[in-house]
Amino acid sequence: MNEEKRKVLEMLSQGKITVEEADKLLAAIAAPSAEPELDAAGKRVWKYLRVQVEPGPGSESSERVNVRVPRKLIRAGLKFAAFIPQHAQGQVNQAFKEKGFDVDLAKITPQDLEDIISNLDDMTVEVDGKEKVRVFCE
Amino acid sequence: MLPIMMHLRVRQAGRRGFGFFFPIIIIWIILAALLLVLLPFMLLAAILTWRRGPGRFLVLLYPMLASILWNLSGLHVETKDAENEFLISF
Repeated sequence: MNEEKRKVLEMLSQGKITVEEADKLLAAIAAPSAEPELDAAGKRVWKYLRVQVEPGPGSESSERVNVRVPRKLIRAGLKFAAFIPQHAQGQVNQAFKEKGFDVDLAKITPQDLEDIISNLDDMTVEVDGKEKVRVFCE
Repeated sequence: MLPIMMHLRVRQAGRRGFGFFFPIIIIWIILAALLLVLLPFMLLAAILTWRRGPGRFLVLLYPMLASILWNLSGLHVETKDAENEFLISF
């Protein structure tokens, strides 16, 4: 645990700050640094995939979703895809086909997945409707 | 890095909610002990089922589980509406 986190938790245990304040401070500490990490090609390396859902203007709904998934966790999770049994792969392919995606899971290599992940930083999806949805990398 | 603190917050309409920071390292220690105990059985199962396929999965299960747990740091899932709230953050 780093020193900053320890101090925040000490202040929380001493009752100097509330749980909400501690949450904000820890989030600020965990926030990505101002100087982005660059890869060998000088391209910015994203650290988190973010999904945000907020109520749109005039919407009666007050639902909010805020998800932050680390890049390394996505990469680790994708490795499990290699263990999908052959018969299940056929079912997944069929389900993709029904949705209009002609994809063969068996032909997707780890390098393909790596390429997709490393190029996600250029992706931003914004949907404005009753709810405002943003999917982006940071 | 393996996450050592987990923040959990749950609020439901009509019920008293709760929120706390949990030293999740305790769970990792218990899990590590459990996995260590299960390791010989897992290896035996892997050897016995190697030819049929699942054996390879069993051998790689531990390192893959470790890679998931090691990369949980920074995971943040938060949903809330007017009455309910759920937050889990590592």
